[in-house]
Amino acid sequence: MGAKFTLGLAFAAGLGLLSAAGARAEEPIRIGFAIAQSGWLSNYDLPPFRAAVTKIDEINAAGGLLGRQIAYTAADTKTDQERSASIGSEMVNGGVDLLVVSCDYDFGAPAALAANQAGIITISLCAADPKMGVQGVGPYAFTATSAAQAEGVAMAEYARTKMGLKTAYVLEDSIIEYNKSACAGFRSAFTAAGGAAAILGSDTFRNEDPSIAAQITRIKALPAAPDAIYLCSVTPGGASAVRQLRAAGIDTPILASTAMVDNYWLNAVPGLKDFYLPGLMSLYGDDPRPEMATFLEAFRKRWNEPPVSSYAVLGYSMIEAWARAVEKAGTVKADPVLAVMNSFRDEPFTAGPTTFTDQMHIQLNRPWLIMKVENDSFHAVELFRNTIVPDMKLLFRVGQ
Amino acid sequence: MSNIVQILADAISLGSLYALVALAIGLVFGVMKLINFAQADYITIGAYALVVPSASVTPVLLLGALPVALMVPGVMLVVTLLALATERLAFRPMRNANPATLLISSFAVSYFLQHLVMMVHTGRPKSVGIGNSLAGAVEVLGVRLPGNQILTMAVAAVLLVALVFFLKKTPMGIQMRAAAENFQMARLMGVRANRVIAVAFVMSGIMAATVSLLLVIQTGTLDIRMGLMPVIFAFFATVIGGMGSLPGAALGGFIVGFISVLLQAFLPAELRAFRDAGVFLLVILILLVRPQGLIVDRAAKERV
Repeated sequence: MGAKFTLGLAFAAGLGLLSAAGARAEEPIRIGFAIAQSGWLSNYDLPPFRAAVTKIDEINAAGGLLGRQIAYTAADTKTDQERSASIGSEMVNGGVDLLVVSCDYDFGAPAALAANQAGIITISLCAADPKMGVQGVGPYAFTATSAAQAEGVAMAEYARTKMGLKTAYVLEDSIIEYNKSACAGFRSAFTAAGGAAAILGSDTFRNEDPSIAAQITRIKALPAAPDAIYLCSVTPGGASAVRQLRAAGIDTPILASTAMVDNYWLNAVPGLKDFYLPGLMSLYGDDPRPEMATFLEAFRKRWNEPPVSSYAVLGYSMIEAWARAVEKAGTVKADPVLAVMNSFRDEPFTAGPTTFTDQMHIQLNRPWLIMKVENDSFHAVELFRNTIVPDMKLLFRVGQ
Repeated sequence: MSNIVQILADAISLGSLYALVALAIGLVFGVMKLINFAQADYITIGAYALVVPSASVTPVLLLGALPVALMVPGVMLVVTLLALATERLAFRPMRNANPATLLISSFAVSYFLQHLVMMVHTGRPKSVGIGNSLAGAVEVLGVRLPGNQILTMAVAAVLLVALVFFLKKTPMGIQMRAAAENFQMARLMGVRANRVIAVAFVMSGIMAATVSLLLVIQTGTLDIRMGLMPVIFAFFATVIGGMGSLPGAALGGFIVGFISVLLQAFLPAELRAFRDAGVFLLVILILLVRPQGLIVDRAAKERV
């Protein structure tokens, strides 16, 4: 009986091993999305999420990654930081190979921290804060977009070199850090070439202010009118500020940050002209890069409508980047994949050339698509790559 | 000099806006001792009534597509019905509750309405261009004033005069003042409670609709939280002015608007980000000197 039992046990164990090995070959690669599907942040999370799903479906249709299919789960953080933390750790405990988190440092970081602690790669859809990286969340954390400071730097360089604007006035919406970072980038690059006097003045407002009349009065009282106004803000307050500036008869070119991109707010300022910003891509059929047309077509096919926001491309590109790293590493294990990702130098992805190092997990000079508003729509002007690269002091806004 | 005139115009027009909201809050508080934070959502919903309810980011105009002569009454009707509905469904059953309970229930109504708007319209801000012809600047006394500032000041002036006339000269206005002074006594004298309270809500609805139209003309923007800041400032205005006093509420609105604009205009650049802290600091100082508010209502002592 003893021998029989041992034999049975060995057989069972063997069978178990076999089936485990079999399961591993068949088991899909798992990606978790701890993102806001409701609440205000969902407007920013959903377009890149849908684009990410588009890419995942494409990979699966082409035979999968390392011969395995990719399965994804998405849970709703409801634009809530605590929920982001708990969903993040649930997903990490449930075993995911990649954890995708919200488009914002404050709301994405709680989930990202859980992944980083467990040694799992985690990528934010579009947080523009460098803290969503090695120095903030930890070595396993990435973000799919560029630093907000780089937006300001690019706009300043473009204004000086391509548009010939010599002086500027800075209008800063102090409601979120993103705006302050973009303004810091602009100030630093604009004064680097033109000296401190190139900035004629600056003022602050808050996104929810019903009126910026006092700020406008200050601009009008300047002894010399500026060549441009740099507005670092987000909608809806940003749109409201542009409307009020134009209503007050200020027709100076307005330079803005990326978050103001896309046509959805242009109803607020009919006939707007001379409004420029560094965009990610154009949704309006005039992007000079053919890969953007391919992306838009794929998105439309998958969701039967075009993306609401041009931030969508970041989600697509993020899955592309991670999948390429997994392919190169030949495994989904975090550390080898991390090593490959950290070796990316201008690696071509849909959103643009992508560089990661073991210190920097955010883009600092990915080419921007400069866009302007004309005939009530954004239009692509040209691609522009900033030559000034924000340093650590500027990125973390210390000693400024 | 022209700069000073411009700053004054900025202050008066922001003050008018706050005064309108403060009066609406004051009217309802007078007859019901309810500080109605749902006033913010009346403003928001009035603005959203301009567009077709949908999740679309670029909305089709609904009331906003009508000519002004129909659009303004249309928005007023929507907001007034909403104000009456909240009164009937949420506040009337709690009429005898203490003011703290009423305050909490107004928060509940406010959250409910806000999430209702979010459910229908999504939380993404939308943009509408109404009153674009008012967006131009007009030359007054050598100063180029934005058309919407002039409109705001004019509308506030007309409404203030109309309100004073209503309260002093009409039977309903007199009943309302009586109810505000001593609700029990007024009822014993034959003032109908339901009617007086309903009229107060109707008037707060009309003012909310006015404010929402002025805000949309000024900002071109719809946002689920758009009514919140004006109501918070207006709440402080009613407290400075003296709870229960309508002239106090209007005065408080202008004071808060003036302080806010003057701080923005004259604070050094590094401190401007703390403008609102400055406004609230001054509110505290005023209350330390005059805890009952600037204009003390005769009946206020037992209330506050």
